[in-house]
Amino acid sequence: MRRRRWVSPILVFTIAQLAWFALLGLWIYWYVSNYMIFIEVGERISPQFVFSTVNIALLVGGIVLLMAVAMGLALIFSRLNEQLKLNKMYDSFIANVTHELKSPLASIQLYLETLGSREVPPSRRDEFINLMLRDSQRLNALISSILEISGLEDKKKVYKQEFYRADELVRSLVAETREQYNLNNNALHIAGSADCICRVDWRSMKVVLNNLVDNAIKYTAGELHIEVGISSQAGKFIIEVRDRGIGILEEDHKEIFKKFRRVANPDSPTVKGTGLGLYWVREIIRHHRGKISVDSAGLTRGTTFRIELPTYPANKLETTLPAKKETNA
Amino acid sequence: MNDMKKELAGSVILLAEDEETLAIGLEYNLEEEGYNVLRAGDGLKALSLFESNDVDLVVLDIMLPHLDGFGVAEQIREQSPQVPILMLTARTSAEDRVHGLEIGADDYLAKPFHLKELLLRIQGMLNRKKWYKESIAENAKFGFGDIEVDFGTLIADVRGDKKRLTPLEATLIRYLSNNPGRIIPREELLQKVWHIISDMETRTVDNFIMRLRKYFEPDPSAPIYFRSVRGAGYLFTPDGKSP
Repeated sequence: MRRRRWVSPILVFTIAQLAWFALLGLWIYWYVSNYMIFIEVGERISPQFVFSTVNIALLVGGIVLLMAVAMGLALIFSRLNEQLKLNKMYDSFIANVTHELKSPLASIQLYLETLGSREVPPSRRDEFINLMLRDSQRLNALISSILEISGLEDKKKVYKQEFYRADELVRSLVAETREQYNLNNNALHIAGSADCICRVDWRSMKVVLNNLVDNAIKYTAGELHIEVGISSQAGKFIIEVRDRGIGILEEDHKEIFKKFRRVANPDSPTVKGTGLGLYWVREIIRHHRGKISVDSAGLTRGTTFRIELPTYPANKLETTLPAKKETNA
Repeated sequence: MNDMKKELAGSVILLAEDEETLAIGLEYNLEEEGYNVLRAGDGLKALSLFESNDVDLVVLDIMLPHLDGFGVAEQIREQSPQVPILMLTARTSAEDRVHGLEIGADDYLAKPFHLKELLLRIQGMLNRKKWYKESIAENAKFGFGDIEVDFGTLIADVRGDKKRLTPLEATLIRYLSNNPGRIIPREELLQKVWHIISDMETRTVDNFIMRLRKYFEPDPSAPIYFRSVRGAGYLFTPDGKSP
């Protein structure tokens, strides 16, 4: 079914193009043969008759118009093709989002009905309320991520970019993430140092780190170990987030940043996700004029995300690092 | 109701659900009902728990890590043709439902669900399992034409050819065999065999009847046992003669 939908536009397009060119060929043939007749017969009938240049202009104009139509068609076709591909991914995105929305909803409903219909002892009641809060936060995070990404794409997102000392920035980001995910120093720690100035939107960088850490947690089967390596090289500020998780096959290294894309791996300890996280991360880094890439020695060998951000001269540093900002990611 | 509950208390339920918050709440509720709950967070763990315990019923999420719910259901069916499986999932496409039921799940509940409905369905399935066990104890085999169906082993002998049936297929044959020569509407089959009240497409019934024809009819395109009555439903004629 899906295959048919994919093949038929190509076929239609090819036939349409062939038809245009055949028409063009016929037209030229007709013109040239008429022209010959005109030249031969025209002179004999009426020597005054001169083959009008208007006709040549008509021919050339017609050909140009025809080419324009053909090119327009090609353009529409390529857009349509893109749209078809996107549609396919969008279907799987909808399925994933449905799952991600309905699961916390199901659990909230379950706890509400439980509390409404049973005599739940106080200790368990508190536990259930906390679980419900966790689920409503999860719903909130998912919904705001979808809204933020669409804001990013519409270029409506306003960045509040400020200058920071690189290692202070990372230290404060990591400290907050550690608190948020309840991780100890061993599970998430910083390595190296970077003596440079960078310019970022603090909240967006928080989203980047949270997404990378969230992925590391999701895709680590054994003990969690995340290292955030920082350094400055050749005018670049480098952040490397390394985990010891299940890793990524080389052929998927580019795929994982694409919108809605999720790579399948039967060894994955989780099936959750929307395919938006890394796309979001990449878009944020791009808006910061940076680059992000991934490296992994293969499955079960861990993953390293490498972020490069531009650095700035020290005299740019006019703002100080805020001690604490609200977490809202 | 309470007597029924008491009879079913102590039944072992395997709960395969990777959403931790949901699993905790389900476990609490099932234990409150008097069931013993085994919890698994992924498909492989679910299978190993199933193999090492005497499980009475399986509550199975479809999207599970390592091995998905369809895979788990398939392997459970290989080992135990009769244990009831209730699929629980956020995926709601008709294809998923049909696929689950074809593999051998007995029932399907979409998330988010109502607690009461879930508990009633579980109770219903456990009762049905008991009823089925008791009913086959006295009448385990049923023959029509040159076919014999063994409701205990869920194996059908079709002219010397052994076919394995899913519990749902067996229950469908059981229901038809109790109502020979009567036109049975699709809705009735859905209600009595699937225990679903019509939100499910009646095409599911057609799919199952089609499979029974493929198994048992000498010529599936010209059925003599499982006949359709246009606009009315299905008619089971065990003697193979036109009514």
